[in-house]
Amino acid sequence: MSSSSTKSDRPGSEPTTAKRQTGDIASTGNAGATTVDCRIGEDGIAELRLGGPEESVVTFTAERLDALESAIAKLRSDRRLRGVIVTGPGPRMFCAGADVKLIQDITEPAAGERAATRGREVFAGLRALPVPVVAAIEGPCLGGGFELALFCDLRIASSDRSTQIGLPEVKLGIVPGFGGTYNLSRLVGLPAALDLVLTGRMLRGKPAWKRGLVDHLVPPEKLLATAHRECLALADKGKKGPERRLRGMAWWLSKTPLRRLVVRAATKKLATGQAKFYPAPKTALSCCTNAFTMPAEQALAAEARALGAMIVTPESKGLTHLFFLTERSKRLGKSEDAGAVDRALVVGGGVMGAGIAGLLANKGRDVRLCDLDLDALARAKARLQKDLDKRTRRRRLERHEARAIQDRLAIGTDWGHLGRTDLWLEAVVEDMGVKQQLMAAAIARGLPRDAVIATNTSSLSVTEMADNVVQRDRVVGIHFFNPPEKMPLVEIIRGEHTSERAVATACKLAVGLGKFPVITTDAPGFLVNRCLSPYLNEAARLLVEGTSPEAIDAAMLDFGMPMGPCRLLDEVGFDVATKVSEVMHNGFPDRMQPCELFAAMVKAGALGQKTGGGIYGAAGKGQGPGRRVIESLRSQRTAPGREASRSELVQRLIYPLVDEAYRCLDSGIVASEDDLDLGLVMGIGFPPFTGGITRFAKREGRAAVVAALDELSRTLGPRFAVSDGLRRRAVE
Amino acid sequence: MTRQRSRAKNLAIVAGLRTPFCRAQGAMQGAFAADLGTFATRELLDRTGIDPAAIDEVILGCAGPDAREANVARVVALRAGLPETTPAMTVMRNCASGLEALVTAQHKLAAGEGEVFLVGGTESMSNFPLMMGPKLVKFFMRLQKAKTLGRRLAALASFRPRSLKPRIAIMEGLTDPTTGLMMGNTAELVARRFEITREEMDDYALRSHQRAAQAVASSAFDAEIAPYVAPPRFAAAVTGDDGVRTDQSREALGRLRPVFDRHHGDVTVGNSCQVTDGAVVLLCMSAAKAKKLKLEPLAFVRGHATAALSPATMGLGPVHATPRALERAEIDLQAIDRIELNEAFAAQVLGCQRAFASADYCQQQLGLDAPIGELDDDKLNVHGGAIALGHPIAATGARLVLTLAQQLRQNDLRYGLATLCIGGGQGQAVVLEAA
Repeated sequence: MSSSSTKSDRPGSEPTTAKRQTGDIASTGNAGATTVDCRIGEDGIAELRLGGPEESVVTFTAERLDALESAIAKLRSDRRLRGVIVTGPGPRMFCAGADVKLIQDITEPAAGERAATRGREVFAGLRALPVPVVAAIEGPCLGGGFELALFCDLRIASSDRSTQIGLPEVKLGIVPGFGGTYNLSRLVGLPAALDLVLTGRMLRGKPAWKRGLVDHLVPPEKLLATAHRECLALADKGKKGPERRLRGMAWWLSKTPLRRLVVRAATKKLATGQAKFYPAPKTALSCCTNAFTMPAEQALAAEARALGAMIVTPESKGLTHLFFLTERSKRLGKSEDAGAVDRALVVGGGVMGAGIAGLLANKGRDVRLCDLDLDALARAKARLQKDLDKRTRRRRLERHEARAIQDRLAIGTDWGHLGRTDLWLEAVVEDMGVKQQLMAAAIARGLPRDAVIATNTSSLSVTEMADNVVQRDRVVGIHFFNPPEKMPLVEIIRGEHTSERAVATACKLAVGLGKFPVITTDAPGFLVNRCLSPYLNEAARLLVEGTSPEAIDAAMLDFGMPMGPCRLLDEVGFDVATKVSEVMHNGFPDRMQPCELFAAMVKAGALGQKTGGGIYGAAGKGQGPGRRVIESLRSQRTAPGREASRSELVQRLIYPLVDEAYRCLDSGIVASEDDLDLGLVMGIGFPPFTGGITRFAKREGRAAVVAALDELSRTLGPRFAVSDGLRRRAVE
Repeated sequence: MTRQRSRAKNLAIVAGLRTPFCRAQGAMQGAFAADLGTFATRELLDRTGIDPAAIDEVILGCAGPDAREANVARVVALRAGLPETTPAMTVMRNCASGLEALVTAQHKLAAGEGEVFLVGGTESMSNFPLMMGPKLVKFFMRLQKAKTLGRRLAALASFRPRSLKPRIAIMEGLTDPTTGLMMGNTAELVARRFEITREEMDDYALRSHQRAAQAVASSAFDAEIAPYVAPPRFAAAVTGDDGVRTDQSREALGRLRPVFDRHHGDVTVGNSCQVTDGAVVLLCMSAAKAKKLKLEPLAFVRGHATAALSPATMGLGPVHATPRALERAEIDLQAIDRIELNEAFAAQVLGCQRAFASADYCQQQLGLDAPIGELDDDKLNVHGGAIALGHPIAATGARLVLTLAQQLRQNDLRYGLATLCIGGGQGQAVVLEAA
């Protein structure tokens, strides 16, 4: 893309005439993705737009950087120039940062460092201009976009809801590279900068303004006018920008040795839990600190080097891979076939039903939750209110918004009139007969023909459930995980007769609820529970063999799982685990024989958290009543008890998961490795930095996995037998 | 004397629903009038399946809306998910506000200003405010105006603990400002005029509880009550009216002290209506629209009237309104199968009964040649009334209509009368005809 291409490249186009009138001095690029549009007004204020009006998402590519550079160069040589306003291509978009594809493609640290330096130098051209430069921000202003804004002399944000400001780089396993860590730290001080950079948190207009990320917050309609006024005011005073210096606590914690307190606290936080698997936040921490310990040039160079180092890490590659998978999953919600779900009926006021209904109400749907037990329904309202109160206290939600959400959740022992229902979803007991009856009743009671009938079953066949339904093509599984408000994955189960429309509608709903849908076919356990089954089963076997639950959980936490399997069993409850394991055993008799521990725990009444303790104590702390159950099972064994080693634990727990995942792929449960990667990260918390289970398997070496499983199969039994699919891939 | 006539301009009541009626400062005290109204409206929409966009206007009565929701009907309409383009008004005729909402809809239908109306009434007497007394208001004004430290201290020093005495909205609201009489005192006047004894009042109050208890036991209210879970804690579902005392004894009623005239009076809290929270909504429309939407009407409004009289005997309002309503409905009192006459006070219901049958009263006050007729005990308030169920001021009128319409339908009867006395000296009456 030539940055010198002019308006004559676009003969007759409407913008050309418009530009000529306003004194176009630099219009660069002729493809949407590279445009930087710059026009200078009569008052000498130039408007520099980061893209053409047709662009709904603006990202930084090499071409756009070139265009920006030449635009700045032309501005510099223009004598009329009194000030510059940098803004997005139109309403609700500033710049969403660097193109993730580019980030993913960089494999050399030096290339990363070069790209970072290049971007920063182009941006620095704005600061080098002799006139004031004002950023007018509405919509996403993220990553590289915000780093550009940080190079401006003044930042003005629109109070529009679309405004989002932040440096989310660490979420992709990298650090801000275009001077963001330096400029932000100098602007708001170390503690406030770290709060944003280390978490990748994005702020709406008002909080961004309160924290000093932007200088003014204005109504959307007045954004550009205010930018003009402020720019002229600075120009009239002959000033480049307002004077800035850190004050108060921010000054003490940034510019004095007290800084160490902040660094120490942040370092400690980054060494605990899952944070320890991610190098980027630690690197970002040192970059931000550099802003106060090094001269600017040196700190900026160090930042570029840090980006180069981070951008090639496997963690970054894993996270960017997942980023694309989530984008892909969101696209499932865009199908033209999909119907809208504005009104839903949820049958079953248990934990799942209440959670799903609350989620629907939260996301703007009218929902009616039905159960014969009024107390359960009251609990559902109370549970929603508890969540709303918490968010209101934290100022995430206005009082009237919270009330509107609660208003949308209707409850009742009867279903009401079904005539305006778009989605009928059941979350009642896992009983095929009951579910079939309810579905038949829904149709008998006049559910409209185009409404979708959904089940939240985790273990029953969606196809069989639809058997008695006259219009079985609209029966689909929508499997939320517990708790539905928090768990990001939703399995959309396509039964044998399920129509495309039903699947599309379910996907659209899932995306609308902020979830990531994965489409699976109808087989026991679908994807997540099926893969989880051998994992939890094996954990139970290890317990009975003599390994302590603490050792098992610690090994899995070290592997990167968010929670150890023993603790997970306590949370799920042994009653549920037993039920699921029975279903899995029926489905796969040779591989998924349930460990005797499940039944024994249920018999002893040590179900887990819900009964006041299972393996661990009631609050998840200390030893629970389940330890005695484990002990008695251990004493019944003839073989001597033994503790498994760390590496054995990983092999026995994780490798079967890999095998089961590939079995799911080969038997068509899901369509691609991508689905496996996303499904298991979002569904069971498989470590995101691996990029997903198939990425993990490839890095580990599938041949090594197969060899280890073969060995386990020889010593411990055929449940470790490797599938043909995985064996075939191992030799690829 | 009854005759068939066209119903084209008569409002059809196709569905109705209410919250349970709960004593104030009780199970539903956390709910404001708009909360109760929103719930009832959403539930009614859910149960009828009507498209909210089909509703032309929302008209709700409310005597004491919270300061944050002065036009409570509009707040309810928006919160209940009606389109932003649906207008809504709150009407206020004290105790008859809920009935006034229905009458207003009837007027609008007749005038061609819409075909489908959501009407009713909502009241949270729990949330009637305590207000700052005038002394406290002045104190704050002084404090605000004081600019210098000295003046500010002087202003502060002017504070007297007695200025903290609040104005209690519910007490002031139930006092007639032109006569200075509390509503209970007007009932005492009616009792004196018709020589109604304390015994008669207590007997009547007992009967109200017994009839209400019987109605509850026979599930007569089940079709009209939706179980409600009240904010802010949503602790438990309320399923029925909690004012009905199944174990009410005549002796206990007899032991109560009179409250309004402590020395010579007979009106006690036991033979007066209860202070209650609740909301009632009715879906009303033209007969043609009901047919088009495939909704089956419960009853039609056949005639209605509003009348006024001396505020001092406001309890006799129904006597003044009913003859006109009957005249407009073109039927006799004898043709009426059920009467719902609001039980503001036992004395006042009994007074109405006497006045209806009194040639003197009808001649002197209404200029009628003959008494209006007998209010037959077997037709009057057969499911009990506000003495047992409570009187959430603006909701009651709509409840009478809902209860009446249900009774006509359940018992296959034809005509019903719903009427209330109104604080300030008015009466309102509506004649219903079963569909």
